Amino acid sequence: MADTVTPRTMPAGRTPAIVGLGMTEMGKVYDRTAGRFAADAVRLAVADAGLRLSDVDGLLTSAGVGGGVGLGLARDLGLKDLSVLSEMQSYGSTAGQMVQYASLAVASGTAETIACVFADAPLRQGTSTGAAYGSRGAVGWRGVLGASGIADTTSMYALAARRHMDTYGTTQDQLGHIAVGQRAWAGMNPRAQFRDPLTLEQYHASRWITEPFHLLDCCLVSNGGIAVVVTSAERAASLARPPVHVHGWGQAHPGRSLLRHEDFGLVSGAARSGPAALAMAGLSVSDVDVVELYDCYTFTVLITLEDYGFCPKGEGGRFVADGTLGPDGKLKVNTGGGQLSSYYMWGMTPLSEAVLQARGEAGERQVAEHDVVLVSGNGGVLDHHSTLVLSPHAPGRA
Amino acid sequence: MVGTVSRDAATAEFFDGTARGELLLRRCPEGHLSTPYAEACETCAAADLTAVPAAGGGTVVSHAVSHKRDGTTLPLVIVELDEGPWWWSCLVGAEPGQVTTGARVRLTFERPEGSEAVPVFRPADA
Ligand SMILES: [Zn+2]
Repeated sequence: MADTVTPRTMPAGRTPAIVGLGMTEMGKVYDRTAGRFAADAVRLAVADAGLRLSDVDGLLTSAGVGGGVGLGLARDLGLKDLSVLSEMQSYGSTAGQMVQYASLAVASGTAETIACVFADAPLRQGTSTGAAYGSRGAVGWRGVLGASGIADTTSMYALAARRHMDTYGTTQDQLGHIAVGQRAWAGMNPRAQFRDPLTLEQYHASRWITEPFHLLDCCLVSNGGIAVVVTSAERAASLARPPVHVHGWGQAHPGRSLLRHEDFGLVSGAARSGPAALAMAGLSVSDVDVVELYDCYTFTVLITLEDYGFCPKGEGGRFVADGTLGPDGKLKVNTGGGQLSSYYMWGMTPLSEAVLQARGEAGERQVAEHDVVLVSGNGGVLDHHSTLVLSPHAPGRA
Repeated sequence: MVGTVSRDAATAEFFDGTARGELLLRRCPEGHLSTPYAEACETCAAADLTAVPAAGGGTVVSHAVSHKRDGTTLPLVIVELDEGPWWWSCLVGAEPGQVTTGARVRLTFERPEGSEAVPVFRPADA
């Protein structure tokens, strides 16, 4: 727990806070387009904050693989004369980045109340989950990679994970502990798509996708939408929900996708983004109570824990297998079950759970100490990273 | 078993190379070598790059095994070419697990029906 939380960079009153959270029904939900999911999520988030749509003067949108979420959303919501409006794309790091740009807009006075939304509807009734994220046309550079058998991100992350295993001795069992630990949390999340308890034996028995990844190393795929509303701490004080203050943030984009990259699979952008975010908040990793990490694969959790400094580089495998994860674990990680077990809304998955935990509204799975919540986003093949440091406490107050 | 691929404007020179049995790296005026799809030198960001064929030797940087729904498998590799750049592809002429990190491999080409030639690797001792 932090003794004090003091941002260095923003004037009092205009420090940013998340004041609304909207989550649609998620999973195998086939009755809506991505655009409609996005509109529903924004309406829910604005209502959650105790605001009206006419109070919103900024909108940032993020589309998934299915597209269909963009500038037109403003019109679909009847939003006029906005001061901030943009489509954003940095894959799984986008949600965290939207909160960062919204925070900058609030701090600078560019806009006062900004909705940030992600929605996607890649699942089609009667087709497989894999088809939703399969390769799309073998042409050009992407095509030669696909023709070579590397047609999906699972293969690329598998190659990253194997390099970590070869270099540091990380084991299959250790990856399994991440899946098992998160499933235990998911059992307490009414929104989770997979809630049945999972054993390490069941993990090992799940079919291979790309070795070293079993099916249960991989995130699920969901239709749905999630939005948050960011405004000033000053305005937040008079709104409906407990504000979640944004104390620090960071991004890192290594920029070596598919190039020669000595750090590939060993160190990600999290190693720069995490410490930058904590430094902005005036905190260190030992102050963090709750950790919500982007988990497209089990391995992504492991490398992010190392890069953020929760354990030394190369010891992530032993760290996660040593009673660290799950509701009874030493570190509270991915308390909603994450994208592995609950719902796949890209960076909005860890962010939404972080907001619930920071507010103290996570029900049965609420973590008792939740003064500092660290959130990661990760996109591409460890190519893009974003970090947020959130707290229910206003800047300058313990 | 590799898949098929067709060229576009950006890959025309590359696939002319693979048709001749060459993987064309990119060389900058300083002599740094970059991966075939580099638009800027990986070392110094120079933009005026010329094509130069890789010699064909390399070392495995990482490996994986893709499992298809029909029960077949395909070993995948990232290879550090002897010239320095990395190339991601599959391994032919080897069982899964036969070639691991640090193993020597050789460049070869698969020529699927109705496709451009695809650069792949085989064990160096095969
Ligand atoms: Zn150069």
